[in-house]
Amino acid sequence: MSQQHNHSGLTRRQLMKALGAASLLPLAGGVGSFAIGGQHAGRVVVVGGGFGGATAAKYLKRANPAIEVTLVEPAETFYTCPFSNLYLGGLRGLDKIAHGYDELRDRYGVRVVHAMAEDVDAEAHRVTLSSGESLDYDRLVLSPGIDIRWNALEGYDEAAARKAPHAWKAGPQTELLRGQLEAMEDGGTVVMVAPENPFRCPPGPYERASLIAHYLSQHKPRSKVLILDAKDNFSKQGLFTAGWERLYGDRIEWVGLSNDGRVTRVDADRLEVETEFGTRHQADVLNVIPPQKAGWIADRAGVTDDSGWVPVKPETFESQRVEDIYVVGDASVAAPMPKSGFCANAQAKVVAAAIAASLESRPAPDAYWSNTCYSLIGPEYGISVAGVYRIQDGHIAEVEGAGGLSPADAPDSTRALEAQYAVGWYNAICQDTWGTTPGTA
Amino acid sequence: MKRVFHRMSAGLMGALLLAGVTPALADDAFSPAQLEVMAGGCANCHGTDGRLSGNVPAIAGRPAELLASRLLAFKHESVPDTTIMDRIARGFTDEELTALAQHFADIYPK
Repeated sequence: MSQQHNHSGLTRRQLMKALGAASLLPLAGGVGSFAIGGQHAGRVVVVGGGFGGATAAKYLKRANPAIEVTLVEPAETFYTCPFSNLYLGGLRGLDKIAHGYDELRDRYGVRVVHAMAEDVDAEAHRVTLSSGESLDYDRLVLSPGIDIRWNALEGYDEAAARKAPHAWKAGPQTELLRGQLEAMEDGGTVVMVAPENPFRCPPGPYERASLIAHYLSQHKPRSKVLILDAKDNFSKQGLFTAGWERLYGDRIEWVGLSNDGRVTRVDADRLEVETEFGTRHQADVLNVIPPQKAGWIADRAGVTDDSGWVPVKPETFESQRVEDIYVVGDASVAAPMPKSGFCANAQAKVVAAAIAASLESRPAPDAYWSNTCYSLIGPEYGISVAGVYRIQDGHIAEVEGAGGLSPADAPDSTRALEAQYAVGWYNAICQDTWGTTPGTA
Repeated sequence: MKRVFHRMSAGLMGALLLAGVTPALADDAFSPAQLEVMAGGCANCHGTDGRLSGNVPAIAGRPAELLASRLLAFKHESVPDTTIMDRIARGFTDEELTALAQHFADIYPK
Protein backbone atom coordinates (compact mmCIF):
# COMPACT_ATOMS: atom_id res chain seq x y z
CA MET A 1 0.00 0.00 0.00
CA SER A 2 1.27 3.42 -0.84
CA GLN A 3 1.76 5.89 1.92
CA GLN A 4 -0.98 8.39 2.53
CA HIS A 5 -0.18 12.05 2.90
CA ASN A 6 -2.01 15.04 4.23
CA HIS A 7 -1.34 18.46 2.75
CA SER A 8 1.41 19.28 5.23
CA GLY A 9 3.51 16.63 3.59
CA LEU A 10 3.86 14.47 6.66
CA THR A 11 3.53 10.81 5.95
CA ARG A 12 0.83 8.83 7.69
CA ARG A 13 3.55 7.12 9.66
CA GLN A 14 4.95 10.43 10.90
CA LEU A 15 1.48 11.72 11.70
CA MET A 16 0.60 8.65 13.72
CA LYS A 17 3.81 9.07 15.67
CA ALA A 18 3.17 12.73 16.28
CA LEU A 19 -0.36 12.00 17.44
CA GLY A 20 0.88 9.17 19.61
CA ALA A 21 3.33 11.48 21.30
CA ALA A 22 0.74 14.20 21.78
CA SER A 23 -1.76 11.83 23.37
CA LEU A 24 0.70 11.13 26.17
CA LEU A 25 0.94 14.76 27.11
CA PRO A 26 -1.79 14.99 29.72
CA LEU A 27 0.36 12.61 31.80
CA ALA A 28 3.01 15.30 32.04
CA GLY A 29 0.69 17.76 33.74
CA GLY A 30 0.91 21.52 33.33
CA VAL A 31 -0.34 21.57 29.78
CA GLY A 32 -0.59 25.32 29.90
CA SER A 33 -3.03 26.92 27.56
CA PHE A 34 -4.75 23.88 26.13
CA ALA A 35 -8.38 24.94 25.97
CA ILE A 36 -10.84 22.94 27.98
CA GLY A 37 -13.14 21.34 25.45
CA GLY A 38 -10.39 21.39 22.86
CA GLN A 39 -11.36 24.44 20.77
CA HIS A 40 -7.77 25.46 20.31
CA ALA A 41 -4.31 24.52 21.47
CA GLY A 42 -3.26 28.06 22.34
CA ARG A 43 -3.50 31.52 20.82
CA VAL A 44 -0.52 32.94 18.97
CA VAL A 45 -0.45 36.46 17.57
CA VAL A 46 2.18 37.19 14.92
CA VAL A 47 3.02 40.81 14.20
CA GLY A 48 4.55 41.48 10.77
CA GLY A 49 3.87 39.71 7.49
CA GLY A 50 7.35 39.61 6.00
CA PHE A 51 9.70 36.64 5.68
CA GLY A 52 9.76 36.08 9.45
CA GLY A 53 6.13 36.68 10.36
CA ALA A 54 4.41 34.97 7.44
CA THR A 55 6.68 31.94 7.84
CA ALA A 56 6.03 31.77 11.58
CA ALA A 57 2.27 31.83 11.00
CA LYS A 58 2.41 29.09 8.38
CA TYR A 59 4.75 26.81 10.28
CA LEU A 60 2.79 27.19 13.53
CA LYS A 61 -0.24 25.87 11.68
CA ARG A 62 1.83 23.09 10.14
CA ALA A 63 3.14 22.13 13.58
CA ASN A 64 -0.35 22.05 15.05
CA PRO A 65 -3.47 23.15 13.13
CA ALA A 66 -5.31 23.51 16.44
CA ILE A 67 -3.22 26.52 17.40
CA GLU A 68 -5.21 29.69 16.79
CA VAL A 69 -2.89 31.93 14.75
CA THR A 70 -3.59 35.59 13.98
CA LEU A 71 -1.25 37.49 11.68
CA VAL A 72 -1.24 41.28 11.98
CA GLU A 73 0.13 43.11 8.95
CA PRO A 74 -1.02 46.53 7.71
CA ALA A 75 -0.30 45.90 4.02
CA GLU A 76 -2.44 43.63 1.86
CA THR A 77 0.45 43.40 -0.59
CA PHE A 78 3.95 42.87 0.71
CA TYR A 79 6.94 43.93 -1.40
CA THR A 80 10.16 42.09 -0.65
CA CYS A 81 13.47 43.83 -0.20
CA PRO A 82 15.19 40.81 -1.76
CA PHE A 83 15.00 41.29 -5.53
CA SER A 84 13.93 44.95 -5.17
CA ASN A 85 17.39 45.72 -6.56
CA LEU A 86 16.41 43.84 -9.73
CA TYR A 87 13.45 46.17 -10.05
CA LEU A 88 15.76 49.16 -9.57
CA GLY A 89 18.03 47.78 -12.30
CA GLY A 90 15.10 47.39 -14.70
CA LEU A 91 15.28 43.59 -14.63
CA ARG A 92 11.91 42.85 -12.99
CA GLY A 93 8.52 44.50 -12.54
CA LEU A 94 7.37 45.64 -9.12
CA ASP A 95 4.51 43.13 -9.36
CA LYS A 96 7.12 40.35 -9.41
CA ILE A 97 8.29 41.20 -5.90
CA ALA A 98 4.71 41.51 -4.57
CA HIS A 99 3.12 38.89 -2.33
CA GLY A 100 -0.17 38.44 -0.52
CA TYR A 101 -1.74 36.42 2.25
CA ASP A 102 -4.25 34.17 0.45
CA GLU A 103 -2.40 30.95 1.16
CA LEU A 104 -2.06 31.67 4.86
CA ARG A 105 -5.73 32.52 5.12
CA ASP A 106 -7.31 29.99 2.78
CA ARG A 107 -5.05 26.97 3.04
CA TYR A 108 -3.61 27.19 6.53
CA GLY A 109 -6.50 28.85 8.38
CA VAL A 110 -4.49 31.78 9.69
CA ARG A 111 -6.62 34.78 10.62
CA VAL A 112 -5.02 37.69 8.75
CA VAL A 113 -5.78 41.16 10.11
CA HIS A 114 -4.71 44.13 8.01
CA ALA A 115 -4.06 46.65 10.74
CA MET A 116 -1.11 48.14 12.56
CA ALA A 117 -0.09 46.69 15.91
CA GLU A 118 0.09 49.77 18.08
CA ASP A 119 0.81 48.53 21.55
CA VAL A 120 1.71 45.43 23.52
CA ASP A 121 0.68 44.87 27.13
CA ALA A 122 3.08 42.08 28.00
CA GLU A 123 1.60 41.55 31.45
CA ALA A 124 -1.95 41.16 30.19
CA HIS A 125 -0.69 39.30 27.08
CA ARG A 126 -2.60 41.64 24.81
CA VAL A 127 -1.85 43.45 21.53
CA THR A 128 -3.79 46.58 20.59
CA LEU A 129 -4.37 47.31 16.91
CA SER A 130 -4.92 50.54 14.97
CA SER A 131 -8.40 49.26 14.17
CA GLY A 132 -9.28 49.45 17.86
CA GLU A 133 -9.38 45.68 18.16
CA SER A 134 -7.27 44.01 20.81
CA LEU A 135 -5.94 40.49 20.63
CA ASP A 136 -5.15 38.25 23.58
CA TYR A 137 -2.26 35.87 23.17
CA ASP A 138 -0.57 32.97 24.90
CA ARG A 139 2.55 33.53 22.80
CA LEU A 140 3.44 36.57 20.73
CA VAL A 141 5.77 36.55 17.73
CA LEU A 142 7.18 39.90 16.67
CA SER A 143 8.70 40.12 13.22
CA PRO A 144 8.66 43.87 12.79
CA GLY A 145 11.69 44.23 10.55
CA ILE A 146 13.54 47.51 10.74
CA ASP A 147 12.72 51.10 11.36
CA ILE A 148 14.88 53.99 10.18
CA ARG A 149 16.66 55.95 12.90
CA TRP A 150 15.57 59.33 11.61
CA ASN A 151 18.07 62.13 12.24
CA ALA A 152 20.75 59.71 13.46
CA LEU A 153 22.44 60.92 10.30
CA GLU A 154 22.21 64.72 10.39
CA GLY A 155 19.66 66.05 7.93
CA TYR A 156 18.11 62.70 7.15
CA ASP A 157 14.50 62.72 8.31
CA GLU A 158 11.22 61.60 6.77
CA ALA A 159 10.99 64.74 4.61
CA ALA A 160 14.53 64.15 3.34
CA ALA A 161 13.62 60.56 2.42
CA ARG A 162 11.04 61.90 -0.03
CA LYS A 163 13.86 63.56 -1.98
CA ALA A 164 16.72 61.20 -1.23
CA PRO A 165 15.01 57.82 -0.83
CA HIS A 166 16.41 55.06 1.35
CA ALA A 167 14.40 52.39 -0.47
CA TRP A 168 15.42 50.06 2.36
CA LYS A 169 11.80 49.04 2.91
CA ALA A 170 10.44 47.95 -0.44
CA GLY A 171 7.41 49.68 -1.95
CA PRO A 172 6.82 53.39 -2.62
CA GLN A 173 10.40 54.26 -1.65
CA THR A 174 11.72 51.77 -4.21
CA GLU A 175 9.43 53.20 -6.89
CA LEU A 176 10.60 56.71 -6.05
CA LEU A 177 14.24 55.73 -6.47
CA ARG A 178 13.55 53.90 -9.73
CA GLY A 179 11.73 56.96 -11.09
CA GLN A 180 14.69 59.17 -10.21
CA LEU A 181 17.11 56.81 -11.95
CA GLU A 182 14.95 56.83 -15.06
CA ALA A 183 14.67 60.62 -15.01
CA MET A 184 18.38 61.21 -14.50
CA GLU A 185 20.27 62.63 -17.48
CA ASP A 186 23.14 60.68 -18.97
CA GLY A 187 26.41 61.71 -17.37
CA GLY A 188 24.89 61.92 -13.89
CA THR A 189 26.24 60.50 -10.67
CA VAL A 190 24.22 58.23 -8.41
CA VAL A 191 25.54 58.65 -4.87
CA MET A 192 24.79 55.84 -2.42
CA VAL A 193 25.37 56.23 1.31
CA ALA A 194 26.03 52.92 3.10
CA PRO A 195 25.72 52.52 6.90
CA GLU A 196 27.80 50.96 9.65
CA ASN A 197 27.00 47.45 10.85
CA PRO A 198 24.56 46.11 11.82
CA PHE A 199 21.91 46.78 9.23
CA ARG A 200 19.36 44.91 7.10
CA CYS A 201 20.87 42.85 4.27
CA PRO A 202 24.64 43.33 4.56
CA PRO A 203 25.37 42.71 0.83
CA GLY A 204 22.31 44.74 -0.26
CA PRO A 205 23.94 48.12 -0.90
CA TYR A 206 26.58 46.53 -3.11
CA GLU A 207 24.11 44.47 -5.10
CA ARG A 208 22.11 47.66 -5.54
CA ALA A 209 25.16 49.55 -6.81
CA SER A 210 25.81 46.67 -9.23
CA LEU A 211 22.33 46.57 -10.72
CA ILE A 212 22.07 50.35 -10.94
CA ALA A 213 25.40 50.24 -12.80
CA HIS A 214 23.91 47.58 -15.07
CA TYR A 215 20.97 49.86 -15.85
CA LEU A 216 23.25 52.83 -16.44
CA SER A 217 25.52 50.81 -18.72
CA GLN A 218 22.50 49.99 -20.89
CA HIS A 219 20.74 53.35 -20.89
CA LYS A 220 23.02 56.11 -19.59
CA PRO A 221 26.54 55.02 -20.46
CA ARG A 222 28.31 58.17 -19.30
CA SER A 223 26.87 57.91 -15.77
CA LYS A 224 28.43 56.41 -12.66
CA VAL A 225 27.76 55.17 -9.13
CA LEU A 226 29.67 56.46 -6.11
CA ILE A 227 29.31 54.51 -2.84
CA LEU A 228 30.25 56.39 0.31
CA ASP A 229 30.64 53.84 3.07
CA ALA A 230 30.80 54.19 6.86
CA LYS A 231 32.90 51.00 7.05
CA ASP A 232 36.12 49.63 5.62
CA ASN A 233 34.88 46.14 4.88
CA PHE A 234 31.64 44.80 3.54
CA SER A 235 29.94 41.52 2.77
CA LYS A 236 31.40 39.52 -0.18
CA GLN A 237 33.75 42.46 -0.80
CA GLY A 238 36.33 40.59 -2.88
CA LEU A 239 33.67 39.01 -5.07
CA PHE A 240 31.88 42.30 -5.59
CA THR A 241 35.06 44.18 -6.38
CA ALA A 242 36.16 41.55 -8.92
CA GLY A 243 32.68 41.46 -10.48
CA TRP A 244 32.54 45.24 -10.75
CA GLU A 245 35.87 45.30 -12.51
CA ARG A 246 34.79 42.52 -14.84
CA LEU A 247 31.39 43.98 -15.79
CA TYR A 248 31.52 47.69 -15.16
CA GLY A 249 35.14 48.89 -15.25
CA ASP A 250 35.34 52.11 -13.27
CA ARG A 251 31.61 52.85 -13.41
CA ILE A 252 31.32 51.95 -9.70
CA GLU A 253 33.56 53.78 -7.25
CA TRP A 254 33.61 52.70 -3.61
CA VAL A 255 35.04 54.95 -0.89
CA GLY A 256 35.42 53.31 2.52
CA LEU A 257 35.72 54.77 6.02
CA SER A 258 39.51 55.13 5.92
CA ASN A 259 39.31 57.21 2.75
CA ASP A 260 36.77 59.60 4.22
CA GLY A 261 33.76 57.63 3.06
CA ARG A 262 31.64 58.12 6.19
CA VAL A 263 28.82 60.58 5.50
CA THR A 264 27.92 62.77 8.49
CA ARG A 265 25.41 65.19 6.99
CA VAL A 266 22.78 64.98 4.27
CA ASP A 267 21.26 67.95 2.43
CA ALA A 268 18.39 66.34 0.58
CA ASP A 269 17.20 69.61 -0.99
CA ARG A 270 20.55 70.11 -2.71
CA LEU A 271 21.24 66.38 -3.16
CA GLU A 272 24.53 66.93 -1.39
CA VAL A 273 26.27 64.94 1.32
CA GLU A 274 29.22 65.82 3.52
CA THR A 275 31.72 63.34 4.94
CA GLU A 276 33.54 63.19 8.26
CA PHE A 277 36.47 65.28 7.04
CA GLY A 278 34.36 67.85 5.23
CA THR A 279 34.39 66.55 1.66
CA ARG A 280 31.17 67.42 -0.14
CA HIS A 281 29.72 65.22 -2.85
CA GLN A 282 27.06 66.39 -5.27
CA ALA A 283 24.60 63.77 -6.49
CA ASP A 284 22.13 63.64 -9.33
CA VAL A 285 20.34 60.81 -7.60
CA LEU A 286 20.94 60.34 -3.88
CA ASN A 287 20.17 57.03 -2.16
CA VAL A 288 20.78 57.16 1.59
CA ILE A 289 20.76 53.84 3.40
CA PRO A 290 20.57 55.19 6.93
CA PRO A 291 21.20 53.74 10.41
CA GLN A 292 18.44 51.36 11.51
CA LYS A 293 16.85 49.74 14.55
CA ALA A 294 14.20 47.14 15.31
CA GLY A 295 10.68 48.00 14.15
CA TRP A 296 9.08 50.26 16.74
CA ILE A 297 6.49 47.80 18.08
CA ALA A 298 9.47 46.01 19.64
CA ASP A 299 10.04 49.14 21.73
CA ARG A 300 6.40 49.20 22.76
CA ALA A 301 6.69 45.58 23.84
CA GLY A 302 9.76 46.40 25.93
CA VAL A 303 12.01 43.87 24.28
CA THR A 304 14.70 46.14 22.76
CA ASP A 305 17.96 47.04 24.51
CA ASP A 306 20.06 50.22 24.28
CA SER A 307 21.30 49.22 20.82
CA GLY A 308 17.75 49.50 19.46
CA TRP A 309 17.73 45.79 18.57
CA VAL A 310 16.21 42.83 20.42
CA PRO A 311 18.33 40.40 22.47
CA VAL A 312 16.87 36.89 22.32
CA LYS A 313 17.49 33.51 23.90
CA PRO A 314 19.50 31.76 21.19
CA GLU A 315 17.76 28.37 21.44
CA THR A 316 14.22 29.66 20.89
CA PHE A 317 14.39 33.38 19.98
CA GLU A 318 12.20 34.17 22.97
CA SER A 319 12.96 37.68 24.23
CA GLN A 320 15.57 37.84 26.99
CA ARG A 321 13.52 40.56 28.64
CA VAL A 322 9.85 39.63 28.34
CA GLU A 323 8.36 36.18 28.69
CA ASP A 324 6.19 34.67 25.94
CA ILE A 325 7.35 37.16 23.31
CA TYR A 326 9.47 35.73 20.50
CA VAL A 327 11.30 37.99 18.05
CA VAL A 328 12.54 36.90 14.64
CA GLY A 329 14.18 38.46 11.63
CA ASP A 330 16.05 41.71 11.24
CA ALA A 331 14.84 43.08 14.60
CA SER A 332 16.62 40.37 16.60
CA VAL A 333 20.25 40.16 17.64
CA ALA A 334 21.22 36.85 16.06
CA ALA A 335 24.83 37.35 15.01
CA PRO A 336 26.64 35.56 13.43
CA MET A 337 23.42 35.09 11.45
CA PRO A 338 22.99 38.09 9.16
CA LYS A 339 19.85 40.20 8.91
CA SER A 340 18.52 38.46 5.82
CA GLY A 341 15.13 37.28 4.59
CA PHE A 342 16.48 33.73 4.53
CA CYS A 343 17.49 33.94 8.19
CA ALA A 344 14.15 35.47 9.16
CA ASN A 345 12.40 32.54 7.49
CA ALA A 346 14.78 30.03 9.13
CA GLN A 347 14.40 31.61 12.57
CA ALA A 348 10.61 31.64 12.21
CA LYS A 349 10.54 27.88 11.67
CA VAL A 350 12.57 27.28 14.82
CA VAL A 351 10.29 29.66 16.74
CA ALA A 352 7.15 27.95 15.40
CA ALA A 353 8.47 24.58 16.55
CA ALA A 354 9.49 26.01 19.94
CA ILE A 355 6.09 27.63 20.52
CA ALA A 356 4.17 24.55 19.40
CA ALA A 357 6.27 22.51 21.83
CA SER A 358 5.87 24.95 24.71
CA LEU A 359 2.09 25.04 24.29
CA GLU A 360 2.16 21.28 24.79
CA SER A 361 4.73 21.50 27.61
CA ARG A 362 7.16 19.57 25.48
CA PRO A 363 10.83 20.50 25.12
CA ALA A 364 11.62 22.44 21.96
CA PRO A 365 13.42 20.54 19.20
CA ASP A 366 17.10 21.43 18.79
CA ALA A 367 17.57 24.51 16.66
CA TYR A 368 19.02 24.25 13.15
CA TRP A 369 19.41 27.30 10.97
CA SER A 370 20.95 27.97 7.62
CA ASN A 371 21.38 30.95 5.36
CA THR A 372 22.15 31.53 1.73
CA CYS A 373 22.40 35.08 0.43
CA TYR A 374 22.64 35.44 -3.31
CA SER A 375 23.67 38.74 -4.84
CA LEU A 376 23.45 39.59 -8.50
CA ILE A 377 26.27 41.70 -9.87
CA GLY A 378 24.72 41.46 -13.33
CA PRO A 379 21.73 39.56 -14.77
CA GLU A 380 23.99 36.58 -15.50
CA TYR A 381 26.55 37.06 -12.77
CA GLY A 382 25.58 35.76 -9.34
CA ILE A 383 27.58 35.26 -6.14
CA SER A 384 26.58 33.85 -2.78
CA VAL A 385 27.48 33.44 0.84
CA ALA A 386 26.12 30.59 2.92
CA GLY A 387 26.18 29.55 6.55
CA VAL A 388 24.88 26.75 8.75
CA TYR A 389 24.26 27.60 12.38
CA ARG A 390 23.78 25.64 15.59
CA ILE A 391 23.89 26.37 19.29
CA GLN A 392 27.38 25.97 20.75
CA ASP A 393 28.08 26.76 24.41
CA GLY A 394 24.82 28.64 24.66
CA HIS A 395 25.48 30.87 21.66
CA ILE A 396 24.56 30.83 18.00
CA ALA A 397 27.64 29.69 16.12
CA GLU A 398 28.52 28.92 12.53
CA VAL A 399 29.21 25.25 11.99
CA GLU A 400 32.89 25.09 11.23
CA GLY A 401 33.85 23.87 7.78
CA ALA A 402 30.42 24.66 6.35
CA GLY A 403 29.17 27.73 4.53
CA GLY A 404 31.37 30.43 3.09
CA LEU A 405 31.61 32.36 -0.15
CA SER A 406 31.43 31.47 -3.80
CA PRO A 407 34.96 30.69 -5.01
CA ALA A 408 37.00 33.75 -5.99
CA ASP A 409 38.36 32.14 -9.14
CA ALA A 410 35.19 30.61 -10.58
CA PRO A 411 34.56 30.67 -14.35
CA ASP A 412 31.74 32.73 -15.87
CA SER A 413 29.64 29.58 -16.15
CA THR A 414 29.57 29.29 -12.34
CA ARG A 415 28.53 32.94 -11.99
CA ALA A 416 25.77 32.33 -14.55
CA LEU A 417 24.60 29.23 -12.68
CA GLU A 418 24.47 31.15 -9.41
CA ALA A 419 22.46 33.91 -11.11
CA GLN A 420 19.92 31.26 -12.16
CA TYR A 421 19.88 29.72 -8.70
CA ALA A 422 19.31 33.17 -7.22
CA VAL A 423 16.03 33.30 -9.12
CA GLY A 424 15.25 29.73 -8.06
CA TRP A 425 15.95 30.69 -4.47
CA TYR A 426 13.66 33.72 -4.67
CA ASN A 427 10.81 31.68 -6.12
CA ALA A 428 11.23 28.99 -3.48
CA ILE A 429 11.50 31.19 -0.42
CA CYS A 430 8.49 33.24 -1.54
CA GLN A 431 6.53 30.05 -2.14
CA ASP A 432 7.57 28.83 1.30
CA THR A 433 6.68 32.12 2.97
CA TRP A 434 3.54 33.35 1.13
CA GLY A 435 2.69 30.54 -1.26
CA THR A 436 3.41 32.62 -4.33
CA THR A 437 6.06 32.08 -6.99
CA PRO A 438 6.50 35.18 -9.10
CA GLY A 439 8.40 33.57 -12.00
CA THR A 440 11.40 35.03 -13.71
CA ALA A 441 10.69 38.60 -14.85
CA MET B 1 14.99 11.10 19.60
CA LYS B 2 17.91 10.37 21.86
CA ARG B 3 18.46 14.05 22.38
CA VAL B 4 14.79 14.77 22.96
CA PHE B 5 14.61 11.84 25.30
CA HIS B 6 17.44 13.26 27.39
CA ARG B 7 15.54 16.47 27.82
CA MET B 8 12.27 14.95 28.95
CA SER B 9 11.44 15.82 32.49
CA ALA B 10 11.95 13.11 35.03
CA GLY B 11 8.23 13.31 35.74
CA LEU B 12 7.30 12.60 32.17
CA MET B 13 9.83 9.78 31.97
CA GLY B 14 8.37 8.27 35.11
CA ALA B 15 4.87 8.64 33.78
CA LEU B 16 5.86 6.97 30.54
CA LEU B 17 7.50 4.08 32.34
CA LEU B 18 4.61 3.64 34.74
CA ALA B 19 2.20 3.59 31.86
CA GLY B 20 4.35 0.94 30.24
CA VAL B 21 4.74 3.10 27.18
CA THR B 22 7.73 2.70 24.96
CA PRO B 23 8.44 6.03 23.34
CA ALA B 24 6.83 5.86 19.94
CA LEU B 25 9.83 7.30 18.18
CA ALA B 26 12.57 5.07 19.49
CA ASP B 27 13.16 3.46 16.10
CA ASP B 28 14.26 6.75 14.59
CA ALA B 29 17.18 8.95 15.46
CA PHE B 30 15.10 12.13 15.21
CA SER B 31 11.50 12.96 16.13
CA PRO B 32 9.13 14.30 13.43
CA ALA B 33 9.24 17.74 15.07
CA GLN B 34 13.03 17.60 15.06
CA LEU B 35 13.12 16.58 11.41
CA GLU B 36 10.77 19.43 10.49
CA VAL B 37 13.21 21.87 12.06
CA MET B 38 16.25 20.21 10.47
CA ALA B 39 14.58 20.26 7.07
CA GLY B 40 13.38 23.84 7.47
CA GLY B 41 16.29 25.40 5.63
CA CYS B 42 15.89 23.09 2.60
CA ALA B 43 12.52 24.72 1.76
CA ASN B 44 14.16 28.09 1.16
CA CYS B 45 15.49 26.84 -2.17
CA HIS B 46 13.48 23.65 -2.78
CA GLY B 47 10.07 24.97 -1.70
CA THR B 48 7.86 23.89 1.18
CA ASP B 49 8.43 20.18 1.82
CA GLY B 50 10.96 20.18 -1.03
CA ARG B 51 8.16 20.05 -3.58
CA LEU B 52 8.96 23.03 -5.81
CA SER B 53 10.56 22.17 -9.12
CA GLY B 54 12.34 24.73 -11.22
CA ASN B 55 15.99 25.38 -11.90
CA VAL B 56 16.48 24.15 -8.34
CA PRO B 57 15.15 20.59 -8.40
CA ALA B 58 12.30 19.25 -6.27
CA ILE B 59 13.50 16.73 -3.67
CA ALA B 60 10.19 15.44 -2.29
CA GLY B 61 9.41 11.82 -3.03
CA ARG B 62 12.77 10.94 -4.55
CA PRO B 63 14.36 7.68 -3.43
CA ALA B 64 16.04 7.96 -0.04
CA GLU B 65 19.16 6.14 -1.26
CA LEU B 66 19.56 8.60 -4.13
CA LEU B 67 19.07 11.66 -1.92
CA ALA B 68 21.41 10.29 0.73
CA SER B 69 24.15 9.47 -1.74
CA ARG B 70 23.87 12.94 -3.30
CA LEU B 71 23.97 14.70 0.06
CA LEU B 72 26.91 12.63 1.29
CA ALA B 73 28.73 13.25 -1.99
CA PHE B 74 28.16 17.00 -1.69
CA LYS B 75 29.65 16.83 1.77
CA HIS B 76 32.60 14.51 1.24
CA GLU B 77 33.49 14.66 -2.45
CA SER B 78 33.91 17.23 -5.14
CA VAL B 79 30.75 17.10 -7.26
CA PRO B 80 31.15 18.92 -10.61
CA ASP B 81 29.09 22.10 -11.10
CA THR B 82 28.18 22.33 -7.43
CA THR B 83 27.63 25.92 -6.34
CA ILE B 84 26.05 25.86 -2.91
CA MET B 85 25.10 22.35 -1.77
CA ASP B 86 28.65 21.45 -0.75
CA ARG B 87 28.74 24.47 1.55
CA ILE B 88 25.37 23.53 3.07
CA ALA B 89 25.92 19.76 3.37
CA ARG B 90 29.15 20.25 5.33
CA GLY B 91 27.04 21.79 8.11
CA PHE B 92 25.34 18.46 8.89
CA THR B 93 26.51 15.12 10.24
CA ASP B 94 26.24 12.04 8.01
CA GLU B 95 23.47 10.80 10.29
CA GLU B 96 21.54 14.04 9.86
CA LEU B 97 21.94 13.99 6.08
CA THR B 98 20.72 10.39 5.90
CA ALA B 99 17.73 11.24 8.08
CA LEU B 100 16.92 14.25 5.88
CA ALA B 101 17.11 12.03 2.79
CA GLN B 102 14.56 9.66 4.33
CA HIS B 103 12.40 12.62 5.43
CA PHE B 104 12.11 14.01 1.90
CA ALA B 105 11.76 10.56 0.36
CA ASP B 106 8.69 10.03 2.58
CA ILE B 107 6.96 13.19 1.31
CA TYR B 108 4.54 12.82 -1.58
CA PRO B 109 5.91 14.96 -4.42
CA LYS B 110 2.76 16.98 -5.19
